[in-house]
Amino acid sequence: MVISKKVEFSASHICRSPRLSDAENERTYGAAANPLGHGHNYVVEVAIEGEPDPVTGMILDLKRLKDILEEKVLSVYDHRLLNREVEPFDRVVPTLENIAIDIWSRIDPHIRGRAKLYSVRVHETVELSVEYRGGK
Amino acid sequence: MTVRLTRKYGFAASHRLHSRALSDEENRRTYGKCNNPHGHGHNYEVEITVRGQVDRVTGRAIDLGRLDRIAEEEILKPLRYRNLNEEVPVFHEVVPTTENLAAELDRRLRSAWPEAFPDGGPVLEKLRIWETERNICEIDHA
Repeated sequence: MVISKKVEFSASHICRSPRLSDAENERTYGAAANPLGHGHNYVVEVAIEGEPDPVTGMILDLKRLKDILEEKVLSVYDHRLLNREVEPFDRVVPTLENIAIDIWSRIDPHIRGRAKLYSVRVHETVELSVEYRGGK
Repeated sequence: MTVRLTRKYGFAASHRLHSRALSDEENRRTYGKCNNPHGHGHNYEVEITVRGQVDRVTGRAIDLGRLDRIAEEEILKPLRYRNLNEEVPVFHEVVPTTENLAAELDRRLRSAWPEAFPDGGPVLEKLRIWETERNICEIDHA
């Protein structure tokens, strides 16, 4: 059984790689390569897999999940310029793909017991989202 | 790292649900008001999900420009503001239900995919189409 929770944060980012030329950056990221940055209201859907506890009827205490997301993700990401203020985006381009992978690595160690992190899906706009299910 | 990226597109078109293999009465019973001889339209939404590896340099799993071009060429340009039954050859024979439309869009993407992504690249995993907020059809290859 999979249960999911949705949270939001707002942040700005710049999609440019120091390993690419200006022309390659423009071609790869389009408008998102603007060196002055731009922002989104990101929506994060976290899905947890497991069987409900026979006593509580819950896979995971959702209040605990909310607290983990608040402490490990939202307090770090919300209203920040990701490239300058959030690791590892001083070294890694904060594409939607890398944001989903980073959010996974921030919350996965804190989800224990019968519950297991199943996926992290991040929506950048209503037209674009990326889902990471862990692993390679 | 493998991720799944989902991109959403929209187009408006008209159709009529009517099967030549059924009588007029059976058509009315099967398709209800969608059988209206004059046709009717929808704002369709299409979600394409691809699965791919995140490139270490760019941090991207797919070239979104190429995905947008293939969606534009194969789906949006040929279907936007069209009467599906009259103007899209496959629907001269096949009833343009959401199910058949999903299968046709999937077929179009699949046949154009190798040329758009000749180096292997991302895998087309899922296609979802909304006819209305409440009618959604999905083809999942995962």
